[in-house]
This record gives sequence, C-alpha cells and structure tokens, in this order.
Amino acid sequence: MVKLEIDGQKIEVEEGTTILEASKKAHIKIPTLCYEENLSIFGGCRLCVVEIEGEDNLKPSCATMVQEGMVVQTHSPTVREVRKNLFELIIASHDIDCNLNCLTCSRSQNCDLREIAADIGVTEIRVPPLDKGYDVDESSFSIVREPNKCITCGRCIRKCEEIQGVGIFTTANRGPSTIVTTFEDKGIGNVECTNCGQCILACPTGALHEVYHYENVWDALHDKDKHVVVQTAPATRVAIAEPFGAEPGTVATGQMVAALRRLGFDKVFDTNFTADLTIMEEGTELIERINNEGTLPLFTSCSPGWIKFIEHQYPEYLDHVSSCKSPQQMFGAVAKSYYAEQHNIDKDDLVVVSIMPCTAKKFEAVRDEMKEDVDYSLTTRELSRMIKQAGIDIMNLEDEDYDQLLGVSSGAADIFGSSGGVMEAALRTAYEIITGTELDNIDFNNVRGLEGLKEGSVVINDMEIKVAVANGLGNARILLEKMKNGEEYHFIEFMACPGGCIGGGGQPLPASNEILEKRMEAIYDIDKNKKLRKSHENPMIKKIYEEYLGEPGGHKSHELLHTHYKERGI
Amino acid sequence: MNSDKFLDRAHDIQDTYGYIPEGEIDKMAKEFDVPRAKVYGSIRFYSMFYTEPTGKYIIRVCDSLSCHINDSKSIVDSIKNYLGIDDGETTENKKFTLEVVECLGHCGEGPVMMVNDEMYTHVSKNMALDIIKDCT
Repeated sequence: MVKLEIDGQKIEVEEGTTILEASKKAHIKIPTLCYEENLSIFGGCRLCVVEIEGEDNLKPSCATMVQEGMVVQTHSPTVREVRKNLFELIIASHDIDCNLNCLTCSRSQNCDLREIAADIGVTEIRVPPLDKGYDVDESSFSIVREPNKCITCGRCIRKCEEIQGVGIFTTANRGPSTIVTTFEDKGIGNVECTNCGQCILACPTGALHEVYHYENVWDALHDKDKHVVVQTAPATRVAIAEPFGAEPGTVATGQMVAALRRLGFDKVFDTNFTADLTIMEEGTELIERINNEGTLPLFTSCSPGWIKFIEHQYPEYLDHVSSCKSPQQMFGAVAKSYYAEQHNIDKDDLVVVSIMPCTAKKFEAVRDEMKEDVDYSLTTRELSRMIKQAGIDIMNLEDEDYDQLLGVSSGAADIFGSSGGVMEAALRTAYEIITGTELDNIDFNNVRGLEGLKEGSVVINDMEIKVAVANGLGNARILLEKMKNGEEYHFIEFMACPGGCIGGGGQPLPASNEILEKRMEAIYDIDKNKKLRKSHENPMIKKIYEEYLGEPGGHKSHELLHTHYKERGI
Repeated sequence: MNSDKFLDRAHDIQDTYGYIPEGEIDKMAKEFDVPRAKVYGSIRFYSMFYTEPTGKYIIRVCDSLSCHINDSKSIVDSIKNYLGIDDGETTENKKFTLEVVECLGHCGEGPVMMVNDEMYTHVSKNMALDIIKDCT
C-alpha cells in the first residue's frame, strides 16, 4: 500500500494506482477527455494534469503512478489556469460555429465537453475555432461520423482496437492536421466495421452517432394508411428510463409500452416473444447437431455485430453459426406473415419498427438476405428522443401491458439482454426437452456477470455439454483462437458488446461499468420475478407452432426464421 | 509491432512502387499482425510516405519559419503557376508532384527546396523554374 496526500486528504491506495484513480477514491473529480476506464492510457488531452510537490512540471494524473509520501494538488491555481488554457485549445479544434452548434448536436444532452467546461469554469474562448471543413462520413448504414466535431482524443480508436479487437480507426497526419480516419479514408461503411457502435459510447463529443431513422418512423406513424407495429428488445426496458433522469437499473417496461402506445403505434409487441422463439429454433438446431454429429460448437447468431465480425474476420467458422435469424428479424418475419394474415393486413401497409440497444441492428435490417422483415430499427436513444419530442412524461405513466400474442414472453427471453442470457435460456429449454424432466435449479450462475469470457458445463442425459460465453469482440477473438488451438465446446454464445446488449452501442449515455452492472442486475430481477421463466413453456409460443409454424426447425420455420451468412473479407 | 522493421518494409515498398499501394498495406497488416487501419495510419504519420501514386519528381519546398521569412511563398507560387498544380497535387503527365513541407533541415540557407533526393539551397524564383526545367 502507498500513503499519499491529495488536496490535503491523506489516503492509502494500492501500489500501481494512478493519481487519477487515487483521486477518485478520495472523492475528487479530475476532468478527463482522452481517459476511459477499460482502455489503455493515452495521456493526450492533458486536462487531468496535477501539481506534485517537488516536481517542476505538472503531470498527467491518468499516466502518473502514486508514490509513497506524494503530495498532490489537483485544483491549485496553476492547475486550474493551465487546465482552462488547454481546454480552450482543445475546443478550438472542435468546430463550434453556426452550422455546428450545440443545439443540433447528437450529444446536446450529455456532452463531455460541456460538462468539463462547466466543471472547470470556462468563461472565455480566446482561440477562434478552426474551420476544418471535413466531409461527414455517411458511408455506413449504422454509424455517422462528423470529423469536424472530433478532438482526436483517440477513444474510438482504442475502443475499437483494444476492446473489440477490430481496429477500423486510426489517426493520420501530424500536428494540427491530425485526423481520425479509416483505412485509406474509405469510410466506416466500406471497411471491416461491425457496426457495434462501441465507438459512439467512447466518443466524448458528437463526432460519432447512429444513423437516425426516427423521422421515418414519425412519417409512418402519421400516415393513416399504414399499420405500424413496434417491438422492443430485452435490454431496452432496463435503460430507457436513464435519459429521463432515473437511476440506472430502473425497470420501465410498462411505462415504455405506455409511451409507445401514446406515440401512436398500432400494436406494441415484444422482441422477447421472438427471443423465446429463437430458443425453440436454436435449441432444436443444437440438439440436432449433437444427435446427428453436425458441426459443433454451435455459435449463437443474435448479435449482428458479432455476425459481421465473423463474416469479416473468421469466415472459416461460418458453418458453426446458427442459421437462426436474430430475434429482431424473426419478429419482422412473423409480423409480416402470421400477424398480417391473422389480421387481414396487407403486407405493404404493415410497417415493422424495432427499438434496439444496438446500432448493428440497423445494418442487419437492410441485409439482402432478410431486408423485408424490419422496416426501421431505432436505438434506445432514438426512442428517448421521440418520447421527448412528443412531450410524454414517461416516468409518470401508469404501466401498460404488451399487446397479445407477439407480446407474451418468458424470463428466459428477458435475460437475452445480458451476456450469458441466451446461453442460460437455451440450456433451460434444451435440458428439459432432451431429458423430459424438470430442472431443479434454472439459474446458471456461472454464465452470468460482466466478465468477458465465461465457461461452464452441464450434464444432460449423461452427456457433458461444454459451453462458453464471450462478450466484447476482443473476447470473441480470444475464444476463437482457443478453438483454433484445439479447445472443444458444444455451444458458444457470442455478443459483440461488453456485457451483452445492456452495454449495446445504441444504449443511453453514459455507459460506465457501474451502469452496466445495474442494468444487468435489473434484467435478472425481471427474470426472477416472472412466473414464466422457460421459453418452451410460453403458451403463445406453443400456439404459434400449433397454428402456423408447425414444428421447431420444420419447413415453415426454415422459410421464415432462418437465414445464411457470407464471407466479407478484409 | 517492431517499428524498425515496419519502417524498413514501408521504405522498400515505396522504393519499388513510388508509393505504398492498398494491397501492400494489407500484406503489412498480416505480416505485423495489426489492423490494416493501424498500418495505414502509421504510414500517413510520416509525410514522406505516400499512399497515392506521385509524379516522377517530387518537389518539396520548405515553408517553415526561416524559409518563410526568406519569401518561400513566392517560390511556391511560381512553381504552382508554371506547373498548373496546387500543393499536394500531381501534374497530369505524372511528372511532378508539389509539396509545401515543414523544415528540411537547412535553415541557414533558406529558402530551400528538394527534388526527389536532391537538396537545393538559397533558391530564387528563376532558379526554382530552371531546376524544374532540367528534370527530364
């Protein structure tokens, strides 16, 4: 342990702690821009500089380790003045003018720059902003990049490379002409981007945001000839309250349903329904592959960021990926067939909207293999915008229930929103279907939690089923490399985003580890408190198979609920 | 990533092709086991590596402080006029590329310019044009 003094507070921290981390423990907030927990230290923005007794120069607290007897001042007059000057220079490279003002910025409600300006008390901007005049990168279906707002802190670069193991971003040039760009300036949509949107969560400014589709949804809602239905992904219900000031981890399922109804959706359904359906289809696929010596391990296919990752990076493993469409796409397919037929709605008049914690879902919805299924995929953030635009006081609404049939789900579907959830849901069902006996304990705790890689095994009918769970594409890569080196599994759940969908690139900001933990707890609470906790026991799932689909994995299912993938190269 | 080896490879490629083509960046990414964006960014960091084809002759005129106060701007302007290209551009016949660059290390002898590996000091407008005309 190391003893030191920060701003007159005597504290003791572990060796190897940075001054920044130690200050946090002493409840002192030091402003940072290029620092982000989980990422390597860059030390580029210098905003976190502090004064250390006996040292000539100010030191960046993010990159300086504590030492025994150190006396640190984090907000001395010198520090405060230097910080203000630095901030003015950073701001000068962040084009603030009449075209790019805060009012129209994607981050107007939660901009790190504005928060820091308020914290350090910036009163003047003496350096005129640079007009960089870069083009907006609109090459992607999912993500937009506005380089003029970029302050080159490099968080997107490090997030993509270190956490996601992809690395589509880089800096080019030097000095004031430094820019963040992609390989050969091709644009996000023309490189191996997975559309996961983690870069958006990393960005402290409005330089990165999703491609907005909520205006299209407004148009559809106002079109009297259209029948507009909406589905909500599992992870949205534990995050939608955050932009309205509620504590992270607040469950707002019923209020979200009520708000969606007020927005004018004709039917409010739940992606959870097709999450249960996914379990039936994927579970059947797993059982078939095990019984018929098919390709194992089976990889889950719910996460479109993961799908694009494997298509680019590990196409040799595409046979392992479940042919099941994701719950979003299954929903669209069922809505446009079963639901439309049952209610005599012309397919052309039916608009399917989805609310997703995800930016990659936007790309998934326009994939050639299944572009008919879902018309517009919105992020949780976009939904919060629509609710605000409609003046709906969501937190004070009475809870409402989802509409019948496509809105009924089990707790197994809820936990899809968390890393390990799809695995757990599948095991609950696969075990009972194979053995014909009821599980004593349906909580598979070893696949739960924020940890990036989780492994476990379940004995089903004397056969040991070895499972693994990876969240964050960097961890997916580690697991695939383990497989290359001979490690054997039966079933692997892959999620592109750290923590699973609760930490998705379309979720509200900020998204710290602490917030993800609270969202995750909330998801498991929903499951725990549900009576119905196994997908195969969902009465509406039974009903749709009886009335329409036939058997899981049957002909009709294959036609509607399954798809294929393609090698994309790098 | 071994940076010495990396730079050696980049120089070899540029010496071969006159620039570093896309396909070669892909190969380097595999060789050094890093994302291709990282290779591209590292190459773009160095102003004397090119990711686009350049002219047969690369004219670099220094516009750092010493050269600037010795009126390097007029040299740049006359070259632009004569060749009909802007800073960073290549003539249609692919003969010349013009670059206004930072310090070339001859601050006592400004203004200075380079044509490929040849350094010229105390350059005047006419001298600059003569040098260019001598390029065949």
